[in-house]
Amino acid sequence: MTDISPEMWAKVPAAEKVAPIAPPAPTYGQEVRRRLWANKPAVVSIVFIILLVIAAFFGPYFSPHTYYKQDLKLANIPPFFETYAVTDGAGETTRFFLNASNFNLYEVDAEGNMLGLLRGGRKEMIKKSQPYEFGDQTLTLDYSKLPVRLLLEDGSEVRPSGWSWNKTYLFGTDQLGRDILVRQLYGAQISLTVAFVATLVNFFIGVFYGGIAGYMGGKVDAVMMRFVEIISTIPLTLYVVLLMVVFDSGLLSIIVAIGSVFWVDMARIVRGQILSLKSQDYVAAARTMGASPARILTRHLLPNSIGPIIVTLTMLIPSAIFIESFMSFIGLGVTPPLASWGSLTSEAVETLRAYPHQLFFPAAAISLTMFAFNFLGDGLRDALDPRVGR
Amino acid sequence: MFTYILNRLGMMLVTLWAIVTLTFFLMHAVPGGPFVSERMLAPEIAAALNAKYGLNLPIWEQYLNYLGRILTFDLGPSFKYPGVSINSMIAAGLPVTLQTGLLAVICVVALGVPLGVIAALNRNRWPDTTVMFIATLGVAIPSYVIATVSIYVFALRLGWVPTFGLDDWRGYFLPVFALSGFWISFVSRLTRSSLLETLEQDYMVTARAKGLRKGQILFKHGLRNSLLPVVTVLGPVVANLITGSFVIEQIFALPGIGRQFVLSITNRDYTAIMGITIFYAAILMVMILIVDLLYVWLDPRIKLTKAAA
Repeated sequence: MTDISPEMWAKVPAAEKVAPIAPPAPTYGQEVRRRLWANKPAVVSIVFIILLVIAAFFGPYFSPHTYYKQDLKLANIPPFFETYAVTDGAGETTRFFLNASNFNLYEVDAEGNMLGLLRGGRKEMIKKSQPYEFGDQTLTLDYSKLPVRLLLEDGSEVRPSGWSWNKTYLFGTDQLGRDILVRQLYGAQISLTVAFVATLVNFFIGVFYGGIAGYMGGKVDAVMMRFVEIISTIPLTLYVVLLMVVFDSGLLSIIVAIGSVFWVDMARIVRGQILSLKSQDYVAAARTMGASPARILTRHLLPNSIGPIIVTLTMLIPSAIFIESFMSFIGLGVTPPLASWGSLTSEAVETLRAYPHQLFFPAAAISLTMFAFNFLGDGLRDALDPRVGR
Repeated sequence: MFTYILNRLGMMLVTLWAIVTLTFFLMHAVPGGPFVSERMLAPEIAAALNAKYGLNLPIWEQYLNYLGRILTFDLGPSFKYPGVSINSMIAAGLPVTLQTGLLAVICVVALGVPLGVIAALNRNRWPDTTVMFIATLGVAIPSYVIATVSIYVFALRLGWVPTFGLDDWRGYFLPVFALSGFWISFVSRLTRSSLLETLEQDYMVTARAKGLRKGQILFKHGLRNSLLPVVTVLGPVVANLITGSFVIEQIFALPGIGRQFVLSITNRDYTAIMGITIFYAAILMVMILIVDLLYVWLDPRIKLTKAAA
């Protein structure tokens, strides 16, 4: 011991004392966030949902069109078209496109902005043709044989000059000449409102119903769960249909109808969680300290079962969107001229043969949204589950 | 076993009674009543109609009458189509709905399970990713979108199948496909994850160590154990196929019960709505009971009495 020099016994400055061995252990919240951010589909879904909400609630303000204004002269306009051009003797060029499903010509400018319906001469019913005057040029629309042909006086056929996107109606118009893009955005607004509000209602009813049943246990639990069992024996869609028939269609009633029925899954899951949590020591401790059942439930039990609750919530939203569109599709949803994705789809089905583009946009919107919520739900479930490998 | 079935049947009766009561009072809460339409009826005629259908009686008496009729399996007359009973409506639509529904269930099992098995056995290789990609599509796309898009592609563009109706055997393809699309995807995902879990069990290792043949390991030890969750979802599958048929029968113009139901909703034919709802509920409960019994038969570890408690 004597060969240790005195300076070796000197105090080490405080800062050097603890050598950092590992970074601080991440909290549960940080861990969940990290796992969620590592999940690419879930992140893309979050971004998509945020963009969708922004577009749905602010998009319509940036459009010159409204969801209810009709213009029958400009009905069933496609979102993109082949432009034709005719130059008359005075050197003036008219650009237009042909709607091959209703045999109308629409004037457009070089950029693809709609200028209006071109008025033709008298239709010749027997020859199935219609003349159009462009200055001194006469163009004949010949629809006796399909595909439709456009013939000049000398018998030569006018050829399209190329595809162009419709700048006035980006998604085209529907059968009443309403802008599909704006209707779609309004539809998104309605579908999302229904989904979020109904889910919120389900959340409150389900969490408290399940929480009370699980915490009380015994007779109360048996009676409450018997009631849930009765409700869930027949598919919930049937209840919603019944309620919608009684309430009459409308935004509020569809929210009430969905909100009053779909909480049973949530109630089951919360009850299961509470049942497994209520025998934990910290609940006994809280009870010993005289906490009221309400306090134990809201401050101790529910926060600890938040993971499954959130996952169920994200899964409820797409099913609410789905039910809403399903109801609107069979004619029980929002009242016209309001639009929702379901009613847009069912309107588009009527004109499917001639104008498939009208179906494409709402169908794509609803499918993408369902994707996004499904991926987000899967991602959240993986992220919130501590057992999944890190 | 016997007491369990009796118990379940009793429970079903209670549920049915609850549904009958609920629908009855809901329908009577609707403002208007069945004979209010744009065309005003003379008060004498309205009174005679009300008397004919027993609507002039006090509501509890109407309720008791209705309950009594349901006990004798009589769902009453349609208010919108004079002389047509709900029973005959259902009888006319049932064969169509049953045919498409049954074909859809067969499709779900016959396609969903093998696809899931293929995916699980080729984990993270191309068959797996392909199946899972299609299954994700199938879960996210609503059935009516599948139906309309497939009409456009296969019936209008390619002309392989008729656009509507069941006159031709090819007419079954699209409705059954649209009806079962979601559940094929769901079942294949379920089979895949459940089989993957089973494959890691100790008894699978034991079976392999014993030198059993591959097919025997897969079918006898793997598949039989991993199919149990699939059997559990079959009850909800049947339930959802039936509600799914509202839209599908509407789109494909199939004269089934689902279309009848949607029609009665648009016609506000209240007795028809009530009758068909009750019929659906009854059918579904029987189906779920059958599935539960099937479950016990497949998995001897499950005790019915415990499940009933």
